[in-house]
Amino acid sequence: MTINRREFIKANAIAAAAAVAGVSIPAVASNLITSSDITKLKWDKAPCRFCGTGCSVNVGVMDGKVVATHGDIKSPVNKGLNCVKGYFLSKIMYGKDRLTTPLLRMTNGKYDKEGEFAPVSWDQAFNVMAEKAKDALKKDGPEALGMFGSGQWTVQEGYAAVKLMKAGFRTNNIDPNARHCMASAVGGFMRTFGIDEPMGCYDDLEAADAFVLWGSNMAEMHPILWTRLTDRRLSSPHVKVAVLSTFEHRSFDLADNGMIFTPQTDLAILNYIANYIIKTDRVNKEFVSKHTNFRLGETDIGYGLRPEHPLEQAAKNNGKTAGSSTQIDFEEYAEFVSTYTVEYVAKLSGVPEHKLEALAELYADPKIKVTSFWTMGFNQHTRGVWANNLVYNIHLLTGKISTPGNSPFSLTGQPSACGTAREVGTFSHRLPADMVVKNPKHRAIAEKIWDLPEGTVPPKPGYHAALQNRMLKDGKLNFYWVQCNNNMQAAANINEEGYPGYRNPKNFIVVSDPYPTVTAQAADLILPTAMWVEKEGVYGNAERRTQSWYQMVEAPQGAKSDLWQLVEFSKRFNIEDVWPEELIAKKPNVRGKTLFDVLYKDASVGKFSLDEIPEDRLNDDARDFGFYIQKGLFEEYASFGRGHAHDLAPYDTYHKERGLRWPVVNGKETKWRFKEGSDPYVKAGTGWDFYGHKDGRAKIFALPYEPAAESPDEEYDLWLSTGRVLEHWHSGSMTQRVPELYKAMPDALVYMHPDDAKKRGMRRGDLVKLISRRGEVQTRVETRGRNKPPIGLVFMPWFDASRLVNKVTLDATDPLSKQTDFKKCAIKIVKV
Amino acid sequence: MMKNAESTTSEYHVASFVAYPILAQLNEVKQAIADIEGTDIHATSDEGKIVFTIEGNSYRDIGTKMDIIRVHKGLINLSPVYHQILDESDNEKIEEQYTELKK
Repeated sequence: MTINRREFIKANAIAAAAAVAGVSIPAVASNLITSSDITKLKWDKAPCRFCGTGCSVNVGVMDGKVVATHGDIKSPVNKGLNCVKGYFLSKIMYGKDRLTTPLLRMTNGKYDKEGEFAPVSWDQAFNVMAEKAKDALKKDGPEALGMFGSGQWTVQEGYAAVKLMKAGFRTNNIDPNARHCMASAVGGFMRTFGIDEPMGCYDDLEAADAFVLWGSNMAEMHPILWTRLTDRRLSSPHVKVAVLSTFEHRSFDLADNGMIFTPQTDLAILNYIANYIIKTDRVNKEFVSKHTNFRLGETDIGYGLRPEHPLEQAAKNNGKTAGSSTQIDFEEYAEFVSTYTVEYVAKLSGVPEHKLEALAELYADPKIKVTSFWTMGFNQHTRGVWANNLVYNIHLLTGKISTPGNSPFSLTGQPSACGTAREVGTFSHRLPADMVVKNPKHRAIAEKIWDLPEGTVPPKPGYHAALQNRMLKDGKLNFYWVQCNNNMQAAANINEEGYPGYRNPKNFIVVSDPYPTVTAQAADLILPTAMWVEKEGVYGNAERRTQSWYQMVEAPQGAKSDLWQLVEFSKRFNIEDVWPEELIAKKPNVRGKTLFDVLYKDASVGKFSLDEIPEDRLNDDARDFGFYIQKGLFEEYASFGRGHAHDLAPYDTYHKERGLRWPVVNGKETKWRFKEGSDPYVKAGTGWDFYGHKDGRAKIFALPYEPAAESPDEEYDLWLSTGRVLEHWHSGSMTQRVPELYKAMPDALVYMHPDDAKKRGMRRGDLVKLISRRGEVQTRVETRGRNKPPIGLVFMPWFDASRLVNKVTLDATDPLSKQTDFKKCAIKIVKV
Repeated sequence: MMKNAESTTSEYHVASFVAYPILAQLNEVKQAIADIEGTDIHATSDEGKIVFTIEGNSYRDIGTKMDIIRVHKGLINLSPVYHQILDESDNEKIEEQYTELKK
C-alpha cells in the first residue's frame, strides 16, 4: 500500500471526526491512526484558551511549533468536538504583530509620559516600574497601587498576583476583568446559597427535559454546549427549548418558545413564573419547608454610578444596606409576587401571554426536569444579583435543583473566570475559597497559610473594576498594572472614565499583553507576554472542572509569562520598602528579605524541587526561578479550600486527568452539589443540604422589578445592547489577529430593525453615528443577518478596536456586584 | 473523489468536520459541501451527521471554505474536529523517510 504524508494526516483527520460522529470508516483510514513518529508530532492535552466551556484540545507540536489541534475525544466536556474559535487556536500565538520586547514611552532615552514607545530591556522596564511603584507607595501608601487582572490568567498567575498585591504591597486594589463578566453571578450564589459556583454540571445537558436560555446566546457563545443541547433536543422529541432575549439571535433557530422582551423586564417575568407556580399550587411544599427560608430584600438601591449622579442622589438605599434583607414567611412572599400577573407582565415585557404561560408551565410541571442557562443578559444588569436570585427562587420553589437535569446554571465567558477569578479570589473584596478581606477570621486564615504576621492583609475592600478607572482619573490610583485583558476596549464609558485615567500625568500604567491592544497603546510601559501552551498552567471552567496543561512550546524570544513577570518583579522590593516597621517587628526573620523570598521562594510555594518536573517537559518559568513554582502555588492555594467544600486533588493528578469537578474528596469528583448521595459534604439523612449557609437552607428572595438606569426618551430614542459574536471572543485582541476570523466578521456593525432604519431614512450599509449623552461612534447599518433586533432596540458587538462602542455605553453598575450593565443605555442614530 | 486543492504555498492543510444538518435538508447540505473545492465527504451517520474534510493551502483557504458551509440555512451546527498543517518545503527528504517506514 502506498501512502504519502498528506494521505496519512488526512486519514487521521477523518478518523478523528468519524469517532466523534460515531460512524464507521473504511479500514484504510482506521488502520493508520496510531503512529505519531511518522509525522514527528508530539501530542499533549490543554484546555482551550477562549471561553468558559473548558473544552480539552489535543495540541500537536513539531519542531517547536504548534502545527495541529483536534478536539479531545477523551474529554467529557467536548467529546472530541471543537468550535470555530478552537479551530484557530494554534494560530493565536503566531500573529504578525506579536510583541517580543518591553516598550517604554521615552524622549531622549528617558521615560516620558508624553514620549513615543521605544524598546527597552526587561531590566530597564522593571527598574522604571519599581521606581514608580515605590514613589507611589511613599507618597500615598498602598492604596495608590492597583492591578487589573483576568479570568484568562492561569490559577497560579491569579494566586501569585493576589499574594503580591494583598500580602506584599498590602493593597486590595486588585480586580479581574471577570468583574465585567460574572460578578453578579457570584453575588447571586453567595446571597442565595452562601457558596459560589453552579451546583450542577454539563451532565445536565443529557438529562433535562427542558432548557431555558435567559440572556444567553449559547449557539454562538458556547457552541460546544449548544451542540450537546442540540443533540439532546433532536434525539429526544419531548425535549423543549425556550429562549429569552432582547433581540432575536441564532439560538432562536432551535427554540420551541422564542421570546423577545423589553430590556430589564426579565425581573418581572421571573416574578411572574414564581407567582404562576404558587397560583397553580405546584410549590414543592416539602422541599420548601425543609430546605429554604424567605427574605424580603432592600429596594431602590441605585445604579452604582458616581455619588453625585442624579440617579444616586435620588436613590433611597444605595448605601451599605443595599444588600440587606429581612425574614418573611411563605404567605408574605406569595403576596409579594401576586402583583406579577400574566396580564401585567405581558404588557410590561412585550411577550405575549400564551408564551409566558408556556414558559411558566415548564418550570411548574413537576414531571419536567428543567435546566436554566444564563450569561451576560442576567449578569451585565444593574439588578444582576437580583436576576440571579430570582431564577434560583423558581428552582427552589419547585425543588428542581441539584439533581440530574434540574439545574439553574450560570455559564461563564472566560476560560478561568471560575478557576482564577472566583475560586482564587482575585476580586478586590475576596480571598481564596470564597473568603473575604473584611472578615477578620478569613484574614487570619490567609495570614496563617501564608506564614505572615497578623495585620498583613488590609481589611478594607479595594477598588473594583469601574472604581479603578474612576480613581485613575481622579489621580488617587497612581501605579497600575494591567495583565491579560483589554479594558480600554472592554470597559464602559471609556471616553469619560477610561482613557483620561490612563493618560493622567500623575499615573504610571503598565500593560502586559502578547499584542499591541488599544489598552497597551494607552499605557506607559508595555510588557510582552507568553501565552497559553507557551507556559504551564491550570484553568477552572464553568462546571467546577479544574484542568492543567504543560508548557509545550517556547514563547517567542523576549516574551515572558504573566507569572514570570509578577514573580520577577517581586525581587525588586525589600520587605522594608513595602511594610511598616511595626509589621516587620512581628516577624523579624523577614528583615532584609525581598518580596520574592517572603511570598514565594521561602514560603510553601518554594518547596517543590525541579526534579518533580518530568525531564522531557519544558518549563521556562520554574527552571528560571529554581523550583517547581506552578506546583508550589497550586498546592498552597489548594490548602485554602481542602476540608472546606472546595477540595482540589493533588496537583500532579490534574496532569493525568481531563479535569475534575471540585469538591474532589477521596479522589472522587462531585457532579451535583448539595444533594445527598452525590455531594460528600451533605449531612446524612438531610436529602438536600445548602451548607453554604449555617442553617443548611437556601434563601428565596422577594425582590421587585425596578427600571433600568437609562431608558429611551424623545431625544435618545433607541435602546442599545452590546455583546459578542462567535468569530471574536471578547475584545478580539486574539481572534482579530486571525485573518480568517476577521474576514468572517470584519467590522462591528449596528444591527437594527428594517423599520427603524426606514424611519430614519437609512439603508443597509449606510454610514451612521450612534450618539449617547457620553460620546459617539461611527459604523454601518445592518438590517439583515443573524441578529434581528425588535423595533426600538439596536445591537452592536464590541470586539472592534476601530469602532469602540463603549464610548457611548453608560458605566452604571449593579450596586451589589459592581458589574457594569453593558446591555442597556439610550442612544440616537443619525446618518453621517 | 476530492477535487484538487490549490497549492500556491508550501503548506498543506487538512481539517475534518462534523456537520449537523436539518434531516429534511441532508441532501442539500451534502451537495453544498461537495460543491466546494477541496472537500471530501467520508461518511454520514444514521442521525444525518456528515463527516467531511477540507484540504487547502492555508488557514485562510480552509477558513473561507468553512464559512461558506457554516452559513448554510440547512445546517444547525458545524463542528471542526481536527486540523493539521504540513510544511512541504522539504518534501523530497520526507518522502524518502516515508518510503523507509513503509518497508
